[in-house]
Amino acid sequence: MEKHTINLPSVEEFARPRTRSNFLKALAAAAVGTVAGTALLSGRAEAQTYGGASGGGDIDIANFALTLEYLEAEFYGIALDSGVLAEPALSYIAATYDHENQHVNALIELITGAGGTPVAKPEFTFPEGAFSSQASILELAGTFEPVGVGAYLGAAPMISDPAVLAAAGSIAGVEGEHVVAINNLNGVVPPANTAFPAALTQDEVLAAVAPFLGMGSMMETGGSKPAPGVGSEKAY
Amino acid sequence: MDGAESRISPVGFDREYSRRNFLKTAAMAGAAAAAAGAGGLALGARPAWAVHEGYQAVGDVGIFQLAYKLELLEGTFYDIGAASGLFAGNDLAQIAAIRDHEFAHADAIASTLSAAGAEVPATPEFIFPDDATADAATFLGYAATFEPVGIGAYQGAAPALVDKNLLAAAISIHNAECQHRCAINILQGVVPPNNIAFEEALPLDAVLAAVAPFGVTA
Repeated sequence: MEKHTINLPSVEEFARPRTRSNFLKALAAAAVGTVAGTALLSGRAEAQTYGGASGGGDIDIANFALTLEYLEAEFYGIALDSGVLAEPALSYIAATYDHENQHVNALIELITGAGGTPVAKPEFTFPEGAFSSQASILELAGTFEPVGVGAYLGAAPMISDPAVLAAAGSIAGVEGEHVVAINNLNGVVPPANTAFPAALTQDEVLAAVAPFLGMGSMMETGGSKPAPGVGSEKAY
Repeated sequence: MDGAESRISPVGFDREYSRRNFLKTAAMAGAAAAAAGAGGLALGARPAWAVHEGYQAVGDVGIFQLAYKLELLEGTFYDIGAASGLFAGNDLAQIAAIRDHEFAHADAIASTLSAAGAEVPATPEFIFPDDATADAATFLGYAATFEPVGIGAYQGAAPALVDKNLLAAAISIHNAECQHRCAINILQGVVPPNNIAFEEALPLDAVLAAVAPFGVTA
């Protein structure tokens, strides 16, 4: 497993969005990967790869998840510090923040235990005005959370180690709860409104989160050096 | 209860059934979850997502056959709740949505089983506690004990599934069940409703023990 690099899909298209609506558009694009009903049984999973151009591996997948958890934890941390949240949103977001941090720690422990190297926390970029009001925080959270769920659901069939799979399922379920909690704060009725939460491909997830990684920050997956031709040197 | 009756064999309410026994069984499942390591890694105990034995022996088809019965059980329960008159407005919308999800899960599982040439189990004759629809709080209390059993079953079974397409389906349905857990918390007024960092897996034995009082057997 010498290649640890994730194949970034034309990240420059998504980098440095000028407006908040660009961020939301990128996240909304990810949601297009929705799988409904029995269609999810049709083998979509096998068409995906997660965790790197070379086909990944559990450690790469876990590092990919770690990056997403870092992103969520930082987002909710800033949201809590913003001073614009009122109850009950404050309690919801405080719990969510705590969960994301616990996921970060669990993934680090899992990766280390498996002999891998956890990725460092990237520098994240958030859209202008993201934290200016409770409504804008919740709007972004409402687009974030289904991407987190989709990433875990998409990656799960690619995981080899049953213990890693079990952890991914456990965390994915909590991200699903976050979807419902944020829906409730956003006035979505009913807040639990999906029979088959959607899996996303790695490309869809990357496209959704690329804006938050900004220019000059790559999705590290624990490898030593990016393999040539997989996109990293191109933009920088 | 029209929806249930059109779809499911008559629902039996066992008059002799003691609510105390029911709750004892549910508590047993809860204790199993706690033993499995509630609290996650920080405690250094067995993590919440521990891989459980038992499911491998049942195999993919056996797991999906049990899942089918669990989904019908849940769907029927929520259908009774939706028809009970205890809920209105947004609350009713949520109960009805959960019912629809459970039946959609059952349908998806049944077509998967059929496509695999496996038998779709007969619908069990479900048994619900006498006071299931005594009032909204009691109904929701039962719902809150139901959901972690479904969650724990899928999560416990997932690592045992050999077919990756079945795994993809199971993990999506598992996620919906987790979303239901949060939705029931919302209906119960729990703040925050998203109040756990890790979902709990259950061993097969604990799942079977929890659903046996409802008339579901392996």
